[in-house]
Amino acid sequence: MAVVTVRARPAPAPAASRRAAGNRRRALTGWGFALPFVLLFLVFSALPVIASLVMSLTDIRSTDLRRPLGVNFVGLDNYLKVFSDDLFLRSALNTVVVVLVGVPLTLLLALAAANALNSGLIRFRSLFRVGFYLPVVTSIVAIAVVWRFLLDPEVGLVDNALRLVGIDGPNWLQNPHTALPSLIVMTAWRNFGTMMVIFLAALQSIPTDLYEAATLDGAGRWAQFRRITLPLLRATVLFGAVYTGIGYLQVFEEPFVMTQGGPLQSTLTVSYHIYHQFGYGNYGYAAAASYVLFVAIVGLSVLQFRLLRERD
Amino acid sequence: MIRHRRIAALVAAAAAMTLAAGCGRDAGTSKDTAKAVSAGKAGGEITVWAMGTEGEKLAAFAKDFTAANPDAKVTVTAIPWDAAHQKIASAIAARQTPDVSMIGTTWQGEFAKTGALDATPAGLFAGDAFFPGAQETTKVNGTAYGVPWYVETRALYYRTDLAQQAGITSAPKTWDDLTAMAAALQSTGGAKWGIYLQPGKTGSWQTLMPFGWSNGASIADDKGYTFDSPQMTEALAYYQSFFTRKLSPTDLPNGELEPDFGKGTIGAFVSGPWEAALVDQQGAKGKYAVVPLPAKQSSTSFIGGSNIAVFKDAKNRDAAWKFIQWLSTPAVQVKWYQSAGDLPAVQSAWQDPALSADKTLATFGEQLKSAKAPPSFPTWEQVSAVLDNEVEKVVNGKEGAGAALKAVQSQASSIGTGA
Repeated sequence: MAVVTVRARPAPAPAASRRAAGNRRRALTGWGFALPFVLLFLVFSALPVIASLVMSLTDIRSTDLRRPLGVNFVGLDNYLKVFSDDLFLRSALNTVVVVLVGVPLTLLLALAAANALNSGLIRFRSLFRVGFYLPVVTSIVAIAVVWRFLLDPEVGLVDNALRLVGIDGPNWLQNPHTALPSLIVMTAWRNFGTMMVIFLAALQSIPTDLYEAATLDGAGRWAQFRRITLPLLRATVLFGAVYTGIGYLQVFEEPFVMTQGGPLQSTLTVSYHIYHQFGYGNYGYAAAASYVLFVAIVGLSVLQFRLLRERD
Repeated sequence: MIRHRRIAALVAAAAAMTLAAGCGRDAGTSKDTAKAVSAGKAGGEITVWAMGTEGEKLAAFAKDFTAANPDAKVTVTAIPWDAAHQKIASAIAARQTPDVSMIGTTWQGEFAKTGALDATPAGLFAGDAFFPGAQETTKVNGTAYGVPWYVETRALYYRTDLAQQAGITSAPKTWDDLTAMAAALQSTGGAKWGIYLQPGKTGSWQTLMPFGWSNGASIADDKGYTFDSPQMTEALAYYQSFFTRKLSPTDLPNGELEPDFGKGTIGAFVSGPWEAALVDQQGAKGKYAVVPLPAKQSSTSFIGGSNIAVFKDAKNRDAAWKFIQWLSTPAVQVKWYQSAGDLPAVQSAWQDPALSADKTLATFGEQLKSAKAPPSFPTWEQVSAVLDNEVEKVVNGKEGAGAALKAVQSQASSIGTGA
């Protein structure tokens, strides 16, 4: 419970008082205009956030639904439980792997596709652009069906292709060593379209005379890419890393529809773990785990801003 | 101004005090007492929530009830299974429950603990009307909330043609018989896998527990979970033996079981009554038999299904109970089986020729008499997921049966019963 203290102000002079009245009216009008948003924000955003923060400090469970105030405050117990929970630690490790491998992979794919489309190496450019972007707007359920077929050990395209060259491919999604990598590849494939479009826009904003000058100076394609394209794309790469990183920290749909977190928890992610805990009715624990994830997201964003900040 | 501030401070203090007084759990647990239901015909609107097929078919089915009770009106809302738990939980929190809802047997403990369910009135239902295992699922802390509506259980399916080819002429009666049959189906019967037992993942405990119960294991007492017992360890080790001997696959993709059983790639499996129609479609019709689970100390299967209960916040409580009473009469249970395919929870309904004439069903009917359900603790869903995870480790050879059950027990103890 917050304690609000209001300091008494000295009585204002008459002229200033009139000005103050006008200011107050203006302020009131301003607040009047902002009121609809402020109300909606308070009721539907701020209140749930505060409520969940309070929940994470109590032992609330789904069996307390009828008496939500009849719970005990347990301090940081839930947070301690989160960090001593083997399943949470396993899911955190999986999520870190997804971010560390998935983000660079997605950015590389996006950058490569954007460069290829931009350089005019490829004909039917708009067709490819649509093709690369299509997975982004396709339903995850449809994607899951297709990828499960692709990765099927008996009828799947991947293992049959491997068989042609004499390799006996694994049962990708049922093998604890290959399930997570398979999902990471699929996630990257599904998401790189968005970044490709953004990189494409950034590439087109780089002045062509820079490349002309570099060509005159005898710089090859690779040198041009390294010395001109990459430095000028720095801000876009930063944005992409933060944006993709935040998305991948919360990865949920892919394991949910493809592997249900298995086999042997090899694809259990933090979001999926939290989802389970809410399902079991452990509201306090799940709220605490959500805040841990939230702090991780903020931390990752700050880190990326620091690492990719323009050097002065 | 100053007065306003004082009022604000008073309000804040009052709010703080009510919060402080309101927080904290009650020390004692009050026992629910079942109130009687008034005599006479039902009247008024009865709102009912039901999931899946039940939700689709109940509205039309209830016309017989309203014909006998002209003043009553039954309004059925169909809700999908995926959303049902959340929707009921929200309704309980908002105190906006319907009069009656179908309740999954494993949700019973959790919802009863919230205090939202009405205790079953005495005298409305005969104590031995239902299968005892199903009746147990409605009881939380010794009080029954609602009644079983329909049931299902697990039995052994096996390909009789392949068994004959392997020189097996009678159904397996013991655990040794089962192992021998699985091995024979695989070696000389032509099956790639002798048997399919669920290798972990959600719900695998429903296949494992019949082996535990058949071996005399008990996974819970009044105080809490008791997984770590010699009987349970032996059962899990037996379960594991099918995987270490490569008689059962560990990585069968979803939905492959029925086609593989139809093709004869899988020789046997343990599952529920719904599989009969599925394997018939896959070309196994007439080539298989459904028999009771092979026994160790007993042949004790798992009983599932669904309960139906009345909420405390019901607006039309007495009529709601009368509607449930009507649903539980043997003749109505048989009729419900014929229209929705749900197996009757009422024992005497099974004497009807509609059920007793079918040989496959008769097996399930026999199995149901002794079948058991897991404890109705609010935390069972979470603990069963722990068990599923450990089963997966065991069948993949990552862990022994004893170590796995010790791990389950230590996690189950720290989760607690939630009661």
